[in-house]
Amino acid sequence: MHMRKLLFAMLAWLLALAPALAQNKTVTGKVTDDKGAPLSGVTVSAVGANARALTDASGTFSIQVPEKTRTLRLSYVGFDNVDVAISGSNLMVTMKPEDKSLEEVVVVGYGTVKKKDLTGSVSTIGGDKVRDLPVQSFDQALSGRAAGVNITIPNGVVNNPPVIRIRGVNSISLSSFPLVVIDGVPTFTGDFGNNASNNPLGDINPADIESVEILKDAAAAAIYGSRASAGVLLITTKKGKQGRAKVSYDAWVGWTRPFNLIPVLNGRQYEEIKNEGLTNAGTPPNGTSRGFYPYIGNDGQPVSTNWYDVIYRTGVSQNHNISISGANEKTSYFFSAAYTKQEGMIRQNDFKRLNATMSLDHKVNSWFTLGGKFQYANSNNFGVNSGSQPGGAFATSGIGRLGFNLAPNVPVFLNDGSYNINRASNQIGGGANLTALQFTNPQVLLDLSRFGSESDRVIANVYGNVKIMDGLNFRTTFGIDNMTIINKTFQNPLHGDGVANNGNAINTNQSYRRWNLTNVLNYNKSFGDHNVAALVGNEQQYTAQEGWGAWRQGVTDPFYNEFQGGFNTIVPSGNFLGENYLVSFFGRVNYDYKKKYLLSFNARRDGYSAFSPENKYGNFWGASAGWVVSQEKFFENSGLSKIFSNLKVRGSYGVVGNNQGIGDFAFWSFFSSGLYGTNPSLFFSQAGNRDLRWETSKKTDIGLEMGFLNGRLNVEATYYMNDVDNLILAEPQAPSRGIPGNSILQNVGAMTNRGLELTINYNVIQKKDFSWNTSFNITTLRNRVTALAAGGADIQPATSGLERPSMIRVGESIGSFYAVRTAGVNPANGQRIFLYRDGTQVQYNHAAPVASRWTLVSNGAVAPRVADQANDGVIIGPALPKWTGGWDNNFRFKNFDVSMLFFFSGGNYVYNGTRAGMLDQRSWNNTTDVLKRWQRPGDQTDIPRVVFGDNISNGSGVVISENVERGDFLKLRNITVGYTLPKNLTDRIGISSFRFFAQVFNAFTLTGYRGYDPEISSNGNGNGNPSVDRNSVPQARSFNFGINVGF
Amino acid sequence: MKFKIISLSLLAAAFIGCSKEKLEPIPQTALSDAVAFSDSARCVQQVQGVYSSLKAGQMLAGRYQVYQDVRGEEFINRTNNAVTAWLTWQFNLTASANEVQNFWAAAYACINRANVVMAGIEGSPISATLKRNLIAEAKVVRATAYFMLLQLYARPFTDGNGARPGVVLRLTPETSAGENNRARSTVGEVYTQIIKDLNEAETELPLTYTNSEHRVTRAHRNTAIALKTRVYLNMGQYGNVITEGNKLVPNAAPWQAASGVANALNASIATVFSNYTNSEMIFSMPFTALDPPGVQNGLGHYYNAAPNGGGEFSLNLDPVGIHANADWRAQDARRNFFVTVGGHVRLNKWPNPANAADWSPVIRYAEVMLNLAEALARNAAGTTVDARALAILNAVRKRSDATIADFAPANKDALVALILTERRIELLGEGFRTSDITRLGGTFPAKGVVGAVAPSANQYIWPISLAELLVNKSCEQNPGY
Repeated sequence: MHMRKLLFAMLAWLLALAPALAQNKTVTGKVTDDKGAPLSGVTVSAVGANARALTDASGTFSIQVPEKTRTLRLSYVGFDNVDVAISGSNLMVTMKPEDKSLEEVVVVGYGTVKKKDLTGSVSTIGGDKVRDLPVQSFDQALSGRAAGVNITIPNGVVNNPPVIRIRGVNSISLSSFPLVVIDGVPTFTGDFGNNASNNPLGDINPADIESVEILKDAAAAAIYGSRASAGVLLITTKKGKQGRAKVSYDAWVGWTRPFNLIPVLNGRQYEEIKNEGLTNAGTPPNGTSRGFYPYIGNDGQPVSTNWYDVIYRTGVSQNHNISISGANEKTSYFFSAAYTKQEGMIRQNDFKRLNATMSLDHKVNSWFTLGGKFQYANSNNFGVNSGSQPGGAFATSGIGRLGFNLAPNVPVFLNDGSYNINRASNQIGGGANLTALQFTNPQVLLDLSRFGSESDRVIANVYGNVKIMDGLNFRTTFGIDNMTIINKTFQNPLHGDGVANNGNAINTNQSYRRWNLTNVLNYNKSFGDHNVAALVGNEQQYTAQEGWGAWRQGVTDPFYNEFQGGFNTIVPSGNFLGENYLVSFFGRVNYDYKKKYLLSFNARRDGYSAFSPENKYGNFWGASAGWVVSQEKFFENSGLSKIFSNLKVRGSYGVVGNNQGIGDFAFWSFFSSGLYGTNPSLFFSQAGNRDLRWETSKKTDIGLEMGFLNGRLNVEATYYMNDVDNLILAEPQAPSRGIPGNSILQNVGAMTNRGLELTINYNVIQKKDFSWNTSFNITTLRNRVTALAAGGADIQPATSGLERPSMIRVGESIGSFYAVRTAGVNPANGQRIFLYRDGTQVQYNHAAPVASRWTLVSNGAVAPRVADQANDGVIIGPALPKWTGGWDNNFRFKNFDVSMLFFFSGGNYVYNGTRAGMLDQRSWNNTTDVLKRWQRPGDQTDIPRVVFGDNISNGSGVVISENVERGDFLKLRNITVGYTLPKNLTDRIGISSFRFFAQVFNAFTLTGYRGYDPEISSNGNGNGNPSVDRNSVPQARSFNFGINVGF
Repeated sequence: MKFKIISLSLLAAAFIGCSKEKLEPIPQTALSDAVAFSDSARCVQQVQGVYSSLKAGQMLAGRYQVYQDVRGEEFINRTNNAVTAWLTWQFNLTASANEVQNFWAAAYACINRANVVMAGIEGSPISATLKRNLIAEAKVVRATAYFMLLQLYARPFTDGNGARPGVVLRLTPETSAGENNRARSTVGEVYTQIIKDLNEAETELPLTYTNSEHRVTRAHRNTAIALKTRVYLNMGQYGNVITEGNKLVPNAAPWQAASGVANALNASIATVFSNYTNSEMIFSMPFTALDPPGVQNGLGHYYNAAPNGGGEFSLNLDPVGIHANADWRAQDARRNFFVTVGGHVRLNKWPNPANAADWSPVIRYAEVMLNLAEALARNAAGTTVDARALAILNAVRKRSDATIADFAPANKDALVALILTERRIELLGEGFRTSDITRLGGTFPAKGVVGAVAPSANQYIWPISLAELLVNKSCEQNPGY
C-alpha cells in the first residue's frame, strides 16, 4: 500500500511538470447552434491536455493548447459533445442539441431501463404534470397525457375515482382498473367512502410524485404477471437530488363551479306544462283535487325556485406544499408536508388532506445501500348523496336529479320560514299544487344530514441493496400500505332517507393492512458488445381487510346528530373480514448486441389464495425484441440518417393475468348466517367454483419509434392487440335456478381490444426567449366480445339496479346500448313512434285505456304488444370511445409560460338517461326543451304531446334510441399561464425562483351532446356499462391562482 | 468475497419464501358446504334460512301482498314511484320492470333454498323424525312460493283448467353452473306440484311446536291444510276446499281447529295484527330491528304515511273502492284500521316503522273460514243458501261488528257475493285482491287515472322477467309483452 502511494505521487509530479516542458499555441473559434445562434458558456477543452476555456456571449473562444494537441472537445449542457480537429486557428463549430428523449431513464417493474433500450410499451408522465392542479388525486390529472391510456372523470364530486382504461376494457366481472404500484408496493384502488367519495389514491400528495409510468404491453407488464391485464401504473415518489438543499413552497387558491347546467322550466312554465299534461290525460286541473298552482311568496309574487342554486355553489379551495430535498455523494433526503382543503361545486362536498413524506437513502459503503420512505396522510371527505356514484343514480334524495326534477313553483322555505316539506309523504311540500309532488327538499339534507369518510394512511418501505460483486446486486424491500377508514353517516329524522327510522347514524371502521416483501437478485454486465441485464426475484404480499360498525336508529331528541348521541335501536353495519396472499417468483433477461439488437424475456409464476388448491398458480410471461435500425452502418451511410435521428422497430408478445377484484374466497361454496325473526339461520350464499382460475390476456404489441430533426421530433406508432381469454364472468344463471346473485363466477368469457396508438412529441421552437413544445397522442380502440357463457347468453348490466341500457353481447363492443328504436313524433297526433324489431311502427298514447295505449301507426289499430327492449331492442354502439387522445402544448415567452391540455374522445354513443328523466311527465320538472312539445296536428317536433303520468314516451320506462346520443367531445382540460420573476429580482430577495400562475381546469367542452357532459359516467369504473349518464351531477370548472417559490 | 456470497445467500434464503398457510385461508364468517348440515342445530338453522327467503323484502315482507292488492281497485298510488309498485298499480309493466324481475328472482331464490336444504338435510346425520319434519317445512315454503308466482305471472287455473303456461318448475338443488334452459310448465302442472308438496307436508309436519313463536313462524300440520284451502279455492276446486277446510273449521262456534295448533278466530280483530302470536295467525312472517323488511319493502312502508312509511298508497275513496261500501258500517272494528293523514285515508293494519316492523300475515284462521264458506256456498245444490257457509260468514263479520243483523241472502249467488265482499273487507291489504278477481275471471275495475283491465287484456297478468328470458332460451314470454 505504501509503495502504491509513492508511485502515485511520482506520477502526479511528472504530469504536473509536463505542461511546463511543452510548447503552446492559441486556437480561437466560434460556436453556434444548428440554427446559427451563438452559444455562450460552452466548455472548450483540449483532448489529452489540461486546458479549458469558455465561449463568451458572442460564442467565440480563445484557448491556449499544447502544440501537439490535435483535437478540441466542446461540451455544453443540453447539446451533444463535439470533437473538432484543430485545422487553422479560427474554428467554426456547430453544436447540435442532444436528443434527450433517448437518454431518459424509464422505471419498469423491479428496475429501470434507458428509454432507448426499451422494447416494451411504456408511457411516462412527469410529476410536473400532476401537481398544482385542482384535483384531489393525481390520477384525475392524467387524462389525455398518454397514448393508450384513457382516463375520464365521471362527475364533479370531489375525490371520486376517475375511470382508467389502458388499451380498452380488459375484464367483464373483475377490475379493468390498472394495478397501481407506489414505489414497489401495489396499493389500494376504488372508492371506500359512503356517499362521500373516498379514492385511496387521493391520500397521495400529487406534489410528491416524481413520475408516473404506465406499462401497457406484455413485455413491460408481465413482470407483474397475474395483475397486469389492465396495465400497470408505477408511481415513483421524489428523492433528493445531488446538490445543496432545495426548499420549495407551492400554493394555490381556487374557485369551483359546475358548468354546462341544462336550463329547466321556471315556475310558470312548469304549471303550464303539467296542467296541459293533466288536461291531455283526460283529468284536467280542477282547482279542488288536482292541478298545479303557484305558491305565493312573502313578496306577494308567485314563487319560482331554481333548485340548482340550492344545490351548487362556488367552492373555494386552497393547497399548500413545502418540501426540502438534497443529496451529497452518500446520502439523499426528501421531506415534504402538504395541506389541501378543497370545496366542491356541490354544497357540503369537501376534501381535506394533510400529508407528510420523508425519504432517505444512504450509501453505507461501497457495497451496501440502505434507505426507506415514510408517507402519512389524513384525508377527510365530506359529501351529500350526490346520486352520481355507481349504484346511486335513482336515489330519491340524489342531489343530481333534485336540481332538475324538483317542482320550481314551490319554495325552499315556506313563508313562515320553516322548511317546505310534506311530513306525511316525506316529499317536498306541495305548496299550492293539488297534485302530489315527488322528491325531497335538498335544503334539509344539506343542512341536517352528513356523510363523511376519513382515511388515515401510512405507506412506508425500507430497502437494502447489497453489491455482491461487480454487476451483481441483491435488493430486498419491505413495504407496508396501511389504510384505516372511518365512514360516518347521519341522516336526519325530519326529511328524506332518515325519516323511516326516525334518524340514522351509521359509523363504520374499515381497515386494510398490506405488507409486501420483495427480494430481487440483479445482474448487469457487458461482455464486449454483448450487454446482459438479468434479474430473478420473489415477492410475497399479504393483505388483511376487515370492517365493523353499527347503525343507530331513532334519535331520542332532535338535538342529536352524532352516533354517540341518544338513539333507540342499534344494529350491526359494515361488517366484513377477509384476507388474501399472493406469492410470486419471477425473472427477466434483457440482452442487447451493440445496443442495436434488443431482446427481452420475462416470466412470472403467481400463486393466489382466492383460487382453489388445484388452480392456485398461474404462469405468465412476455417476450420482446427491438431493432435499432438507425444504429446500423448501412443506415448511417444512407441518406436516411439525415432524416431520421432514431429509428427503432419493436415488438412484443406475452400472456398476463388478472385477479384484481376477485373475492377473497371466490372458489368456496358456502352458507352464511342470518336471522329469521329472533332465530338464527343459515342460508346458501355463494355458489363457488373450484375450477376458477386466472384470467389471461394475450398481448401483442408492434411499435415503430422514429426520431427526426436530431431528436426534436419524435413519433411513436404502435399497434396493440389484447386477446383476453378465460375471462372470469359472473355468468348469469337463469333466475329460476335461484342461485345466490343469479350468477356464478366462471372462466368463460373472451374479448379482444385492438387499436393503434400514435404519439408525437415535437420541440417546435427552442429559442432563448421563446419555445414551444407540443405533444399529441391519439389511440383507437376496437373492442369486441368474442365469447360469453355457454350459449353466449347476453348480459345486460344494470345502472343502479333499475335500468339496463347496456348490453354485453358476443360480436359487439362491450356495453353497447340496447335500445328500442324510435322514429320521432307522429305529427298527426303527437305520439312517440316506436319501432318493433321488424320495423313495424307503433305509437304510444298514455291517455288511452291501458289495453289500447299501443297502436299501429299504419292504421291506428291496437298493436299486438308493447314495444320493449326484450323484443325490439337493437344494438347501438359502441359505448366505448373509438378514439381518445390529448394534445398538450407548452409555450415559454421570456418569463411567461403557457400550457394547454386538450382532451378529446369520440366515435361512441352515450346513453343520456338524464334527458329521459328531464322529460318525464310525472310531476317532475322538465328541461326547457319541453316547451316545443307537440300541441296540435301538423306540429313537427321531437317532443311528444305531454300526458300527465307518461314515463314511456320520454324513455324513462323503456330505453329508446332517442336518448342514445353521439359522445364526441373536445375539452380544454387545463390551461395555465405562468410568470417567473426575473433572476436578478429573486436574487435580490434571496430566493432562487418565484413563479405565479393562473389556471382554468375544464375550461370548455365542445360537443353536440345534449346532456351536461358526455364524459359523465354514472357507473364509474363499471366494465360492462360505460358511457351511461343517469341523474349525475355535471363536471366542475375551476379557476386557480398559485405560486411556486424555490429557496 | 466468498464469505459475503455465502452469508448473503443464507440471508436471501431466509427472506425468500412462500407461506402455504396464508395461501390457503379459511373463511371465518361463513360455513363451507361440507359442514353446513353436519348436525341438527345447523339443519334447523338451514330451515330457518328457507323461511327467511320467503319473508324477504321482495316477497312476503310486503311486496307480494302489495302487488296483489294495488292491481285491484282499493288503493290509489300517491308517489308515482316506479320502484314502489306504481307501474303495477297502473298496469304499465314491461318485462324489464323492477318488480317483474325482482319478485321472480326472489321467489326462485326461495325455492332453491328449499331445494338445497331438502337435499342437504336428506344427507345429514340427524334423526329420521327431525329429518322428515324439517323437509316438510321446506316443502310448505316451496309450495307457497310457487303459488305466489302463479298468481302474478300466469293465467288463472280457471282459465283453461290449468292448461295455460305456468312458471318454470325446478325441484332439485341448483348449486353450480348448469342447465339454464327450461320451459314453463303448465299452470296445472305447477298446481299439482304445490298440492303434492302440501299433501306430503301435512303428513310429515309436526302437529305443533313448544315455542309459541314457532307455532306462528314455522309450518305445522294445520299450516299445510290451511294453505291447501287457499290453493284449491284459486283452482276452483271447491270440493277439495271443503275437504281441507273441514279439517280446521268446525260446524259451529267456537271457531277453532280441533287438532294440532289450536288455531281459532280471535275474539277481536283489533289485536290480530298487533299480538303477533295470537292463535288466529296460522303462519306469519316475523321481523325484528335486526331482521327488518328492508328499504321500501315492508307492508307498513306502503300503507303508512311518513315517518312510519312512505305513504305510497292510500285508500280509494271513490264508490268502486271497498272503503265506500255503504254496508260496511262505521262501527265495524275493521274501519279502525283507517287513519287520515295528510288528507288521505291510509290503511293502518301495520302501523310501526320499518325498523320495528309489524309481522306480515301469510294465512290466518279467518281466511280459512271464508275459503271454506265460499266453497260451501258455491257447492250448494241449485240456488240453495248453504247454512253453514252463512254461519261462518256471519261469524267473521259479527266478530268486528257485533250489533249488525245477520246476513239473509236470498239465494246462493247473493251469498257468494256477500262472501266476496267480506273478503275485501276482512283481508284488505293482506294480498288477495288480484287472485280474487282473476280466479273468477273478473275485470280489474278502473280507479283514479287508471282504466279497467278486462280478462282478455294482456295486462291481466305480468310479463315474465326479462332476466329469465335472456338466459333461459326455452322460456316463453306472456302474450303482449
